[in-house]
Amino acid sequence: MEVFVDKKELFITAISNNEGLIYKIATIYTNDVEDKHDLVQEIIYQLWKSFDSFNQKSSISTWMYRVAMNVAIQHLKIVKRKILTIPMDGLSLNFAEENNTDIKEKLQIFRHHLNKLNLLDKGIVMLYLENKSYEEISQIIGISESNVGTRIARIKEKLKKQITK
Amino acid sequence: MELEDLKNAWEAINQQANKQQKLNPKMIEQMIKISYNSRIKKIAYPEMFGIMICVAGAAFILFSYNRLDTIFLKTTGIVSILLLFTLSAISLVSLRQLRLTGDVSKPYADTLKKFALKKIRFFKLQRLNFTLSYILLVTIIILFTKFFNEKDITANKYFWTFSFSFGYLFVLFYSKWVNRYYKNTMRQTEELLKELIP
Repeated sequence: MEVFVDKKELFITAISNNEGLIYKIATIYTNDVEDKHDLVQEIIYQLWKSFDSFNQKSSISTWMYRVAMNVAIQHLKIVKRKILTIPMDGLSLNFAEENNTDIKEKLQIFRHHLNKLNLLDKGIVMLYLENKSYEEISQIIGISESNVGTRIARIKEKLKKQITK
Repeated sequence: MELEDLKNAWEAINQQANKQQKLNPKMIEQMIKISYNSRIKKIAYPEMFGIMICVAGAAFILFSYNRLDTIFLKTTGIVSILLLFTLSAISLVSLRQLRLTGDVSKPYADTLKKFALKKIRFFKLQRLNFTLSYILLVTIIILFTKFFNEKDITANKYFWTFSFSFGYLFVLFYSKWVNRYYKNTMRQTEELLKELIP
């Protein structure tokens, strides 16, 4: 007997199980709270829109990383234009780190260093910090594993140089 | 900062952030609906307004075309109309391109390539836009002094001296300012492209 699982329910479960990665990507690719809220919304919408394209060739989280990072890039506006977003009635995203001074400071330092990297390196670093294997990073970014290794070595050098300048 | 230090900082931030669950099914459902609705409501007000002004301007010049009694003025009229339509088209095309969401399931490097190329194209269009806008400004001044004062401003010798010298200085300083503003971003984008396209 076939069981038809509601697509929306599947999606909501997937989001709930992986919400952490959405916030982390939104944190890295934005500089203020409002932008972060917008990006989280946008990522979830795009994940829903492309949910049918998930073909299970990779894990759901690998697929979500890829989509979320692509959305984050597209969210970067070449010209700053305010996107019309509507606040959610009675619900608000309350990021713990926004209200904690210690975390806010750590985040600022973190962003300061990451923002000096180009977008490609930024993406790779984020995945590296997420303890993704070179293979997974290669699948998400779309470069070879050896290229991933080379880039990470270069990034380490870049970051070392940043602090000594 | 070493990459490993960044990792420690990142883990500390994550541990704090993970303590609080932020999304529930109701919120997720709302987010899907909201983004969809905001797209439908996202009518391009600035572009529409700008295009309306340009079309209105072109229509006015066409309507008043018979009042242009010299070949020079008639040519200026035609150039103005063409510029008005061209500038609207450039704005519309470049801003629409920015909005289009590509395939988000593609590899990240592919999206970056597309983004970088879009950015470079946009900046080049902006430069063209600026040059054409200045030419339009000059033609509009010529035409409107004719339409509203019945005078041919080009008969005044100071007009040419002033518009070309002032124009040249204006274009020079403004383009230097624009170049300085965009230079860094363009350079970074071009460098990024070099890394992405072997």
